[in-house]
Amino acid sequence: MVGNDIVDIVEAKKQSNWQRPGFLDKIFTAKEQQYISKATNPFIMVWRLWSMKEAAYKLYTQLYPSRFYNPKAFKCSVNTLNGKVKYKDFECYVNTKITLLYILSEAHLDKTDMISEAVIFNKNDYKTLSKITKEILLNKISDRYTIPKSQLRISKSEFGIPSVYVNLEELNIDISISHHGNYGAYAVSDPARFQKPCRYTIA
Amino acid sequence: MTNEELIVKLKAIVAPYIQDEAAFKTLNEDTDFVKDLKVNSANLVDIILDIEDEFDIRLENEDMEQMLDVKSAMAIVTSKLNA
Repeated sequence: MVGNDIVDIVEAKKQSNWQRPGFLDKIFTAKEQQYISKATNPFIMVWRLWSMKEAAYKLYTQLYPSRFYNPKAFKCSVNTLNGKVKYKDFECYVNTKITLLYILSEAHLDKTDMISEAVIFNKNDYKTLSKITKEILLNKISDRYTIPKSQLRISKSEFGIPSVYVNLEELNIDISISHHGNYGAYAVSDPARFQKPCRYTIA
Repeated sequence: MTNEELIVKLKAIVAPYIQDEAAFKTLNEDTDFVKDLKVNSANLVDIILDIEDEFDIRLENEDMEQMLDVKSAMAIVTSKLNA
């Protein structure tokens, strides 16, 4: 299982004013607000923590299908590179990649490498980005599992959790999709049974 | 305040954050901020702060949990105003 979230740095500057009174307090715990105030670049820390919370929420809602809005309850702890997020008894590991253009976080139940791939668009249009990111993801799945793309589609549950279907049957893989501003990101995670068998040649 | 007056006020509050004009034009009690209006999840905080300012109420984290659509926002604002 995987949950990811991408933040377009330029878009975040335009869309949100993190210095607005009350903003930090609504989203971040006292400890997280300390990370922010002590950071060399507080703006980047705000969106790093935010993307961690979002990625963790996306992972949590795959495990416990539900929909709610409580970013403050997803509590982050970070070190230089990575971090952890706790929500009630749930805990996950989050990798974050910070570039000059975007911040990409990915949550897993175990410590593992990042599998998300980012897509850079020349346009910033919600509907187009959402559609094209899904298309790219479906192409990838079609190649990896040799299933004709025409038979694949992505459908969201009532809670907004995406699944992949081959015709009417749900494919047993976990995906996560995110897009913001000019950037998209997608991740495909295989349960063990979907991995290709290795070949063993007996001499 | 009537429900109609409340919807008018909420519509004005969410206007700066919407990313789907068509859904915004037909905004009603069943409109979902994220699924329909495509409001960015970080901007939901701005909507919550704007609602607090507009109605002079304070929304706790528990109130925010279900504030994902117009109907629940109306219910929470109404209950706070009548408290």
